[in-house]
Amino acid sequence: MRMEEKHSPEKDIEWKKGTSWKKGTLWKRRISWNKYLAAGVIMTGIALTIGILGLFWTPYSTTAMSAAEKFAPPSIRHLFGTDNFGRDIFSRVMQGMGTTIGISTLVVLFSGTAGILLGAITGYFGGLLDEAVMRVTDAVNGFPSILLALVIISILGNGKHNVIISLGIVFIPSFVRIVRSEFIRLRDADYIRRARLMGVGRLRILFVHILPNIFSVFWVSVMIGFNNAILAESGMSYLGIGVQPPDASLGKMLSDAQGYLQSAPWYALAPGLAIVWIVLGFSLFSEGVRRYGE
Amino acid sequence: MIRIENLSVAFDKTEVVKNVNLDLVDGEVLGVVGESGSGKSVTALTLMGLVSESAQITSGRILFDDVVLQEAGKPRDQVLYRRYQGAQMSMIFQEPMTSLNPTQRVGHQVEEMLWLHAEHRPQGPWKQASDALRLSGRRTGQKEEFRTRVLEAFHAVGLRDEERVYTSYPHQLSGGMRQRVMIAMALILHPRLLVADEPTTALDVTVQNQIIALLRKINSKQNNAMLFITHDLNLARRLCGRIAVMKDGRVVELGETEEIFRHPRQEYTKRLIEAVPSRMKKKTWSADAVLGKAASAEAALNNSAPVVRVHDLSVFYQDGSNSLFGQKKKQCVVADASFEIYPGESLGLVGESGCGKTSLSKAILGMNRSIRGEIVSNTTRPQMVFQDPYSSLNPAKTIGWLLQEPLRAAGALDRSKVMTKADMEAAAYDMLHRVGMEDKYFHRKPSQLSGGQRQRVSIGQALITHPGLVVADEPVSALDVTIQAQIMELMRRLQQEMKLAYLFISHDINVVYQMCDRIMVMKEGRIIEVGETERLFRAPKEEYTRELLSSS
Amino acid sequence: MKYIGKKLITLIMTLFLVSVAAFLAFQIIPGDVVTSILGTEATPEREEQLRQELGLDKPPVVRYFAWAADVLRGDLGVSYRYSKNMNEMMPVTELIGDKLPVTLWLAAVSMLLIIGVSIPLGVLWARSSNHFLDGLLGVITQASMAVPSFFLGILVTYLFGILLKLFAPGGYISYQENFSGFLGYLFFPAISIALPKIAMTARFLRNSMLTELRADYVRTAYSKGATKRRVMYKHVLRNAMMPVVTFLGMIIAEIVAGSIVIEQVFSLPGIGRLLISSISTRDFPVVEILILYITFVVIFVYFLVDILYRVIDPRISEA
Repeated sequence: MRMEEKHSPEKDIEWKKGTSWKKGTLWKRRISWNKYLAAGVIMTGIALTIGILGLFWTPYSTTAMSAAEKFAPPSIRHLFGTDNFGRDIFSRVMQGMGTTIGISTLVVLFSGTAGILLGAITGYFGGLLDEAVMRVTDAVNGFPSILLALVIISILGNGKHNVIISLGIVFIPSFVRIVRSEFIRLRDADYIRRARLMGVGRLRILFVHILPNIFSVFWVSVMIGFNNAILAESGMSYLGIGVQPPDASLGKMLSDAQGYLQSAPWYALAPGLAIVWIVLGFSLFSEGVRRYGE
Repeated sequence: MIRIENLSVAFDKTEVVKNVNLDLVDGEVLGVVGESGSGKSVTALTLMGLVSESAQITSGRILFDDVVLQEAGKPRDQVLYRRYQGAQMSMIFQEPMTSLNPTQRVGHQVEEMLWLHAEHRPQGPWKQASDALRLSGRRTGQKEEFRTRVLEAFHAVGLRDEERVYTSYPHQLSGGMRQRVMIAMALILHPRLLVADEPTTALDVTVQNQIIALLRKINSKQNNAMLFITHDLNLARRLCGRIAVMKDGRVVELGETEEIFRHPRQEYTKRLIEAVPSRMKKKTWSADAVLGKAASAEAALNNSAPVVRVHDLSVFYQDGSNSLFGQKKKQCVVADASFEIYPGESLGLVGESGCGKTSLSKAILGMNRSIRGEIVSNTTRPQMVFQDPYSSLNPAKTIGWLLQEPLRAAGALDRSKVMTKADMEAAAYDMLHRVGMEDKYFHRKPSQLSGGQRQRVSIGQALITHPGLVVADEPVSALDVTIQAQIMELMRRLQQEMKLAYLFISHDINVVYQMCDRIMVMKEGRIIEVGETERLFRAPKEEYTRELLSSS
Repeated sequence: MKYIGKKLITLIMTLFLVSVAAFLAFQIIPGDVVTSILGTEATPEREEQLRQELGLDKPPVVRYFAWAADVLRGDLGVSYRYSKNMNEMMPVTELIGDKLPVTLWLAAVSMLLIIGVSIPLGVLWARSSNHFLDGLLGVITQASMAVPSFFLGILVTYLFGILLKLFAPGGYISYQENFSGFLGYLFFPAISIALPKIAMTARFLRNSMLTELRADYVRTAYSKGATKRRVMYKHVLRNAMMPVVTFLGMIIAEIVAGSIVIEQVFSLPGIGRLLISSISTRDFPVVEILILYITFVVIFVYFLVDILYRVIDPRISEA
């Protein structure tokens, strides 16, 4: 087989660019990654600023109750209004965003690192360990992730740290899977075979020769993982299993607000939209990065 | 019959086909020859009305029997084209695997051609459905008839066991069979024009020959015109009455085949013909290279110690499925191989795909451990050059880093070989020059290099530790002919300079003829013949060798 | 057949492992069940009696096999929390019995919505050369994937329940009383589960079709003189559906997960809600059974998808 024909530019032009059978797709694509990236960077930037700020300072105390200002609608004084205890919703959303983002970051950091180590070793060496790890990840992957996190947390007990541990464990398999399949793909690549022929050491092949080549794929899965962590964390606190009062959390606020949907819809909208804002911003950002990579 | 007048085609404002004029009469075979990117495929696809809608015809027109099929400035008339596609003109493609729908039985795919051009084809899905309900009896009759015609077509293209082929899916057929199916499909309506775009490139040599013979037979029997597109001049010579040579979107030369071969008018054509490794003409190596070559060949015969001695080697292939349930099966892919490779010689290894060439070379390199027999090596770590220049360099690293990595690895393995940073860098620059590249490439990444340049770096990386033996697995097969010649020249030169032995694997008999001192022929895991190149070509002992060598 | 056999063995092994894990996990939990049932003021004799009643005085391995044997016989044990009356404990079977249909119907309606809407939408999307539709669908997909299901549920409640008054939020209608009313109420939680999945599936199908459209065999079909429509439906769709089938199979797990949360939002008395309350009240026999049950459903669906895939893709059925 002649590879030349596979890479033949004329064929590329016709059948790859012609994807959508439209004129000027290439030009449009160039613009679209810019738009995605710009929107993503702005939204994520705002979310991070507010969230991190919220961990240290909020306009009002997040716990100060005020009977006089129960269910105040959004105003200049209280941007998002107040809740059933007269607490400032904006301040609580700020703190909740900080908590959620912080937890999700730690979760991804933990499971991503574990995923790289396990995925690299199992993917490259294969064998019995690989078999065992794959059985477990297959079983876990098929399992609804929030369910597993609930089980783990019911064993560990509630609390911020246990949320991180349980979600961290739950997310490991998805990283292992991706890293492993990349290592399997690359372990037989011609340039890795050549590295083996040169006598390059195993660890060096794993982490110097292969690892840099999987970063783009890994990066995408980190971003997806981050979003899933945000959704899972807020879901858990919505169910009342996770971050506990007095820590403000977006999910818990939503479940509290649900009872007052008729009289104070802003109470539910504020934390809900905050979650959407973080996740949307981040997925736009990652989409932009992905398109830029292409 | 077909006239292409002053045709230009552009993608995104860049013209890839420029002012092309071609014409074809019934029964003639016109070859269009050019390297990749020369616009030959785009011309063919435009003629067939298959080029994507992002392509624009910027000048000229295409006529079929005085009917204008396409014209500059007018959108393609799909309805008109559909009447011609398949019935009057049809096409076969390079990759028979991907060109057939993987989830449809091939019989039905061929039959679709008949349905599409049947006389009273019901219009639209509703009509079709109602017809199916009301007139199922009549339609079954037609179905039977179509089925018979498909089976006949299969028979005509030399497919035996037609019933089984009819109900097969593409992946159940061999490459050659798939291409025969494609041909049967293309010719079932007896079109007057057949466009063949590299129809044999993806196939093994012997299968290639059969397909070419088949195309020639059909051409003389059905008297259809054929537009044969290829990068392979030798192939075009065997099949075509006239040849058009294309370069950068233009037809640079057009004429009778033999006339072009004997008296090429254009410089480019001349280069193309010269670059083609062929037994018909003298080797083009410089005089001292030939002298040195002769000397080293002599040295090899003078009983100098072999670089590698292989004795009674059998290589096994272990079934990859390491699941808990699958039993491991051992399969013998190379049986009882014995041979030697001497310093400074090039030993060619030829055979069809799946004959065990790659397994044998892997065993010599120590990449395959499930072997029986003996491999005695008198050299430090033999290195390898792979076929695909796009996958044999780590895309995350710079050229300089890549060239130094073998030295770092050697240092890590053996304390006595540790080099300073400056020494390694100097060695890398030196190797970069030796493979004919400039300093500026040192800090570039592989993606910024062309295929030929990457193969140069690959060779450099293999040679920087001065191994005595290099296994080259189809090192030039992925390259354009002109680049091919340069890389072969480079390999020859480095062989002289560095006293290298090559084990040179290729399916291209002409390349092997040019490169190798001795040739080893493999068939179904066994070495059936070894001999000096000239002797083997003149008087092969085995029938199989004769068949293999005569194929180009 | 051999393949199916192999898969079945794997399925049973997975179930076994999950059951061991589920059972043992709850053995290492700090806190004594007996104390938590009787309170701290019970007499030691009463505690000992209950311990024996629950079989807690034997080693874990023995208890596992006793438990597993009971489960296989259909005896799912008794709840620590719920009781029928003062003297009789609540069997888990009865506890789950009338909650199961709620969850199953919720999952079924969601799946139907997903399949019924996403496939036509995906095809339409792949065919459309309309930039506006393209962009609109793109934005909707992107946005709907960012909305967590419980927030979507709340939005649906607010929009359809409070503003449009199409259903009474919290006014669950039991399937035993009024089945069509039950389905009508179920429709809204099902939408909340299905909406993001519809967007994802449609996008997946569209991408898959666009990839297939680039394949060589599409060019072959055109070269035969086939119309664009025919190429789309006769050749491309079937090939493009292959990965979508797998995708839909994977979505089952997410529907199950989604229903756990959505049942909470719409106060549906399904097993998701039971699970959450059992976890927070540490009613472990119930949790164990529910985990086992959900695992079984999920891997059984995967198993079916796997078989289905082999039926529709000739390339795999050979291997």
